[in-house]
Amino acid sequence: MRNREHRDLFPGALEMMILRTLKRQPLHGYALAQYIKQTSNDLLQIEEGSLYPALQRLLKEELVKAEWGVSCTNRRVRIYRLTAAGTKHLEREVSRFEKMLDGITRVLAPGEL
Amino acid sequence: MSWIQQLFSRRRLYDELSEEIRAHLDEKIEELVARGMPRKEAVASARRDLGNLTLLEEDSRAVWRWPSAEDFFMDIRYGLRTLARNPGFTAVAVLTLALGIGANTAIFSLMNAVLLRSLPVKNPSQLVLFGASKWGGIMDEVPSRSWQLFSFPFYRDVQADKSVFTDVTAMESMSNDVHGIIGQSSESEAIQARLVSGTYFSTLGVHPILGRTFTEDDDRIPGGSPVAVASYAWWKRRFGGDPSIIGKKMSVGPTVYTVIGVAPAEFFGTTVGESPDVWVPLSMQELLPPGWKGLHDKLFQSLYIIARRKPGVSVEQAQANLNLRFQQFLHEIIGSRPTQKQLDDIQRAFIELTPGALGISRLRAQFSKPLRILMAAVGLVLLIACTNIANLLLARATNRQREIAVRMSIGAGRMRVIRHLMTESFLLATLSAILGFAFATWTSKLLLLMVSAGAQTLPLSVAPDSRVLLFTLLVSLVTPLLFGMAPAWRAARIELNSSLKNGLSAAPVHSPLAKALIVAQVALSLVLLIGAGLFLRTLVNLANVDMGFNKNSVLLFQIEPASVGYKEDSRLARLYEQIEQRVTAVPGVQAASFSMFTFHQGSWSEDAWAQQESPEVKSNREILYNKVGTGFFSTLGLPLVAGRTFDLRDTANSLKVAVINETMARRFFPNMSPLGRTFRFGGPDAKLENDRTVIGVVKDAKYMSVKERRWPAAYLPYSQEVGYLWDFEVRYSGEAGSVVAAIREAIRQVDPRIPVTGVGTLAEEVDRSVVDQRLTAQLSSVFSIVAVFLACMGIYGLMSYSVVHRRNEIGIRMALGAQHGQVLRLILRQGFLLAAAGVAVGVALAFVLTRFLGSLLFDVRPVDPVTFVCVACLLMLVSLAACYLPARRAMRVDPVVALRYE
Repeated sequence: MRNREHRDLFPGALEMMILRTLKRQPLHGYALAQYIKQTSNDLLQIEEGSLYPALQRLLKEELVKAEWGVSCTNRRVRIYRLTAAGTKHLEREVSRFEKMLDGITRVLAPGEL
Repeated sequence: MSWIQQLFSRRRLYDELSEEIRAHLDEKIEELVARGMPRKEAVASARRDLGNLTLLEEDSRAVWRWPSAEDFFMDIRYGLRTLARNPGFTAVAVLTLALGIGANTAIFSLMNAVLLRSLPVKNPSQLVLFGASKWGGIMDEVPSRSWQLFSFPFYRDVQADKSVFTDVTAMESMSNDVHGIIGQSSESEAIQARLVSGTYFSTLGVHPILGRTFTEDDDRIPGGSPVAVASYAWWKRRFGGDPSIIGKKMSVGPTVYTVIGVAPAEFFGTTVGESPDVWVPLSMQELLPPGWKGLHDKLFQSLYIIARRKPGVSVEQAQANLNLRFQQFLHEIIGSRPTQKQLDDIQRAFIELTPGALGISRLRAQFSKPLRILMAAVGLVLLIACTNIANLLLARATNRQREIAVRMSIGAGRMRVIRHLMTESFLLATLSAILGFAFATWTSKLLLLMVSAGAQTLPLSVAPDSRVLLFTLLVSLVTPLLFGMAPAWRAARIELNSSLKNGLSAAPVHSPLAKALIVAQVALSLVLLIGAGLFLRTLVNLANVDMGFNKNSVLLFQIEPASVGYKEDSRLARLYEQIEQRVTAVPGVQAASFSMFTFHQGSWSEDAWAQQESPEVKSNREILYNKVGTGFFSTLGLPLVAGRTFDLRDTANSLKVAVINETMARRFFPNMSPLGRTFRFGGPDAKLENDRTVIGVVKDAKYMSVKERRWPAAYLPYSQEVGYLWDFEVRYSGEAGSVVAAIREAIRQVDPRIPVTGVGTLAEEVDRSVVDQRLTAQLSSVFSIVAVFLACMGIYGLMSYSVVHRRNEIGIRMALGAQHGQVLRLILRQGFLLAAAGVAVGVALAFVLTRFLGSLLFDVRPVDPVTFVCVACLLMLVSLAACYLPARRAMRVDPVVALRYE
């Protein structure tokens, strides 16, 4: 498989953040990008475009669904919302991520070096 | 959403995606503008933040696809479009390749039919042949070496023993081409019959489509099974496929046979290249003309034996067991008081089991080597075709640099570009394979005609079967790897920046790859040309061999009195004499004679002994015999050297006489006149009545093949040696057609019932004897010409291309005062160097490779200097000619135009 998405994140991280954001409220692509950017305090360098392949993957796995609507700036946009399966998936992923983070933190923790 | 729905709704999905991304971009631009950024800057910034749009869309879409499969189909669509856009290139490439693939497939079809295809029988791999089955005829000596022909008693012996073989069958090695009367018909007709044992069909596991076949019981009583199994082809041809053939009567010679069954369509027997009309049980041997009497004779060895190995018994075990039995059998033959020599002889006797799956074939022995050589040659042609196309692709890749650069700059990876270019190559190969396959089905029939070299085409199926199909498929998969890989690799390794800016960059002529390809082409075609040259010289040498007889203006007939009841007695000799007299009286006929054999029709050899023989004879006393009529020597134009030939004085009751050839005279009667002296045929141990008195000496001749060594030979008059004679020769003058009709009429006047067949000429027979040599020479010539043509196209193409690319340089040179001649030399020199390198490599290669042709050459050494030098010069000339046109174009370059072009 080719892998041309040079992102700083580990695989699945972007999807997780999208799901988390959508859990708060349904959003369309641009808004989603803006939100993630702002909430991460611009710490995470996400190429805006990489959102779309990720969204398509989520759509395919039926973790989110999309419908056309009108945005607050009066544009025709596609609004994504979380499905039940998406909610479950998010929970699973978050707990997995936390475990992993916990592990990493322990290793990195300043102890008897 | 199931994947099927996905597949159908995808177009909508993609459109929505594009719209969404566009909307995203617009929204961002609006926002930036609202924040006070100038619109132009905002657009650039938005795009930068979003990333590579095309790639993005592609990646998003990729989520929905089966990526590799769909890329593949997309590549194919794109490839087809590209090929269609360049009809010239496509046509040249496809035609070149189709020629190569077609020729390969055609030769392979023939090779498949002759060398590879298994018999259409049950489990052919279990079958074993006793000996290599390369001989045919009757051997009546006690076996003393690896043995191939066996007697009926030995077959019965092996067949009764079930320890290593489940089934054993025997078949007559000689064919019974008889004439018979079918049903109530008034005319006799030719029937090709084969004598086989009762176990034949059951051993092979061949079941009749109508009626029944033979059983073991049919082997028991000599003359007791007047039945026949018809072949499918004969049933269709002679009876129109009428099922009432079962029970039909067929009278041949003294016997009336009943047809009891029809063999399946694909079953042609066990000999490749034959298709008998009927099979008759071996027990009928003495009654089926010509009526061999060998059923009870342990030394009448004329049968091939095929056996089916017991499961679990290895070939080695079977062979060990069989040879034990064979030795026992031989001890019975030589009796209870053998001489030491006999014991030594049979000690060396041995049966080698060979795989029987392919059946028996003398065609295989004859054509195995030529076909392999031709397959190699035609493979080289394909290789040259591949290098040609590789060069075309290289040139095209140079022209397509900008396209490729664009594709890469919008995000196509290098592997993607290579895959795309390779798809084009595979497409080219597939198109060519389809075309080539069609071409091959037609040419393989032509090849079969060439192999047959006679009035009748060999009954051999060269129609493509699954193996041929697989071969073509394989070739079409391998060729694109050969010609497409390097150019694709190279094309994908471009400098993006410079390519986009300049369009055309480095000319392919500067690429070492292109040069190497040309050198390889020239070298390979040189090898082919040298091979063809050697074969042509061989053919010329063969045609110039002194045959010893005059092959022109001699007609050959086969006359078969056995079918109408003539026995081997004095009545037969009288019949022959009468026919000879009648025919000689026909206007336009100069001489006519019966003989046992003529050139290439077979031979009879036996030992001879003479009191005065030279010592060299002791190690090999085998000589050739022939029974002939009084007019034989004048019919064939065999010059008499001393004494006289046969005449009416030589009768059944007079002194037994012989005419011998010069080699026999020299070996058996050294330094003396052989006239009046005697020799004994059969060797020193033979009976006294085998003594023959020499009355004449004739010149040596060729007897079996053009290539044979000098054979000692003796001719005996048929008036003194009664027996069937297979050939009737007539020397004529004038027009053959009317003479043939008159001869037939003359024979009819003697006995209207006698079948006359096989009208041909001696010259044709001589031609037929070198058919394998002619096939090799003709085909290799054609292949080498094609190869040279392809190589020239390659050189021409490359030089033309180089001239286009060097136009500026040439323009400058001319502006600086270079003369036309100098420019011409400049380009020619470039071509000359390439061709010379190719010739040098080719000569070295040919030195190594022609050694493998050894046995196929005649009177010419594999490294024949004349052929090597001539071919090398020829190829240099031709390649320079191919450079000349582009060079002339270079000469005409107008410096002003060339410089402005920059």
